[in-house]
Amino acid sequence: MLKNIHPLAAWYTPEIKDRNARILQRPKALTISNLHKTFEHKGKKINVLNSIDFTAYKREFVCVVGPSGCGKSTLARLIAGLETHEVGAIHIDDDLVDGPGPDRGMVFQSYSLFPWMTVKQNVMFGLTESGMSRNAAEAEAFQWIDLVGLEKFANAYPHQLSGGMKQRVAIIRALANQPKILLMDEPFAALDPQNRLKMQRYLLEIWQNIDITIFFITHDLDEAIYLADRILILEANPGRVQETLSVPLPRPRKEETLLSPEFLATKEYLEKLVHPPTTEVDMEDKLSMVRMVSVNSEVPDIF
Amino acid sequence: MSRLKSWAIPRTPVDKKSARLLTFASFAIPIFIWCLVSYTPFIWHPQVEITQPGGVSYFREGTVIDKEIFQLEIDKKIAENPQIDMNTLPQGFPVNPVYLPAPHEVVTALYTAFTTPPKRNGEPWLHESLGHSISVIAWGFFWAMVFGVPLGILAGTYNAASHLIEPFTEFFRYLPAPAFGALAVAILGIYDAPKIAIIFIGTFFQMVLIVSTTTRKLNMALVEASLTLGCRGFRMIRRVILPGILPDLYRDMRILLGWAWTYLIVAELIGTSSGITWFITQQARYKNFDNVFAAILIIGLIGLLTDILLAQIGKRLFPWHTGK
Repeated sequence: MLKNIHPLAAWYTPEIKDRNARILQRPKALTISNLHKTFEHKGKKINVLNSIDFTAYKREFVCVVGPSGCGKSTLARLIAGLETHEVGAIHIDDDLVDGPGPDRGMVFQSYSLFPWMTVKQNVMFGLTESGMSRNAAEAEAFQWIDLVGLEKFANAYPHQLSGGMKQRVAIIRALANQPKILLMDEPFAALDPQNRLKMQRYLLEIWQNIDITIFFITHDLDEAIYLADRILILEANPGRVQETLSVPLPRPRKEETLLSPEFLATKEYLEKLVHPPTTEVDMEDKLSMVRMVSVNSEVPDIF
Repeated sequence: MSRLKSWAIPRTPVDKKSARLLTFASFAIPIFIWCLVSYTPFIWHPQVEITQPGGVSYFREGTVIDKEIFQLEIDKKIAENPQIDMNTLPQGFPVNPVYLPAPHEVVTALYTAFTTPPKRNGEPWLHESLGHSISVIAWGFFWAMVFGVPLGILAGTYNAASHLIEPFTEFFRYLPAPAFGALAVAILGIYDAPKIAIIFIGTFFQMVLIVSTTTRKLNMALVEASLTLGCRGFRMIRRVILPGILPDLYRDMRILLGWAWTYLIVAELIGTSSGITWFITQQARYKNFDNVFAAILIIGLIGLLTDILLAQIGKRLFPWHTGK
């Protein structure tokens, strides 16, 4: 499918090329080698992830996209240690992943704040679990709450917060533990578009200011291109790495970036990979069927 | 009549006024029916209270007799002597059977039952019987909670514990608690211990299963989030699972406490009869059915009031829990 020259080659300016090359020379933060994952469903084995190889580097922002059912969430859960796999290995720095641990923070799609704890107590949770004293944890929590501008809500319960605020708290709760990698499983999928954009900008700001590698699962291609240094594209049935794409966009990303020609070209390219055109044909048939059904309309048809 | 319209829409809250009206009606309707049956002679009143024996050998003033028999005796008298003076015939007025006292009699009994001393020396007053019943329930429920809640949480948290605990519990909960009465007396004697044991058997096994189901319903994302924050083992049960299920656990306990009350009557009949059940059977023996009704009402009131009280306390205890 790929020709010798990448379709996006024209957009890689020397600057971007140089930046991408520098990222790849950093120490490895996450190494996934020959990872297989199968689920058993009604006695049949289903191959969810097939021979995944991938490396993320320190302070890199990686997004994972792919059609539904490609196992991208499973991949994040495997790295978090919430699922087990039979073949292959995942390393964080040089440590083999074996069960969940505080070195890999995770932000879930569903709001996973503890509803009986205030914002402050939520952020303190991981800190006190790792043995920090209450006073030290409290001071630390306030710094994080300041960082995302929720000072006024430090003593509020999660049900009093908006969706975006909840995810901000979830992010700083994970970051307060100073994990080596932050796993995010479609964290903004439940937000409305305006809030999603705001949260994306927040996240980029936080990421630029602290030493963290981010592994971000999404089904929103705009989101992936806007955020990522590199995009890991998976294909479904079974989940396999289709391509690893360096995003041909300069940093820092701005709102105009979303309208730039290089952004649109990248999106067009990704669209073809993730949603191959074959699936749309029968949908077209259905739509014309709908038009044939007579509707008792009071206004004349404008088509 | 837009209000009436809103009553017929499925699963839509009615306005405050309607809600109050309907709550009132939910008590008022049964009481109204009871009043109708008690105070209007033409609805039921299957018996006659005799005011004048009229020469029938077994009629006494004040005795209550079935309507048919009363009529039969009158017919006999008329057949014997067709010219009999109407005023010398047996007379009486229709009444309900003694086991259905009128509302006002029960209301009076609610008060007098507490003020009337027991028939024999050494027998308990009503409030003492009630206190005894409450203590039996409290102990039975306490022991069920001491063992049931931890086992339920374990079974709901760890699948291994669930496989170990739940199958036997599931089997045992189908065994009717009263069936263990004789056994409990043989093992524990005739006083309070077997009664507490029956309450325990009746609630414990249900409790394990209900608590484990509640625990399983805790959002998995909370458990997973705590895992990725470095929390595990028993610390997780203490810091995440227990506080996470606490509002639901509290509600379960409220429901199960009602369950405990239903086992009370059977439990108190075991060994030496005691508590409110002793009072009820005793009063029934003396045909003081107004007292029997009063005692049953008191049980209902205690149950309802504790439940309302616990619900109010629950609202204060769990401010983050928004009535799900």
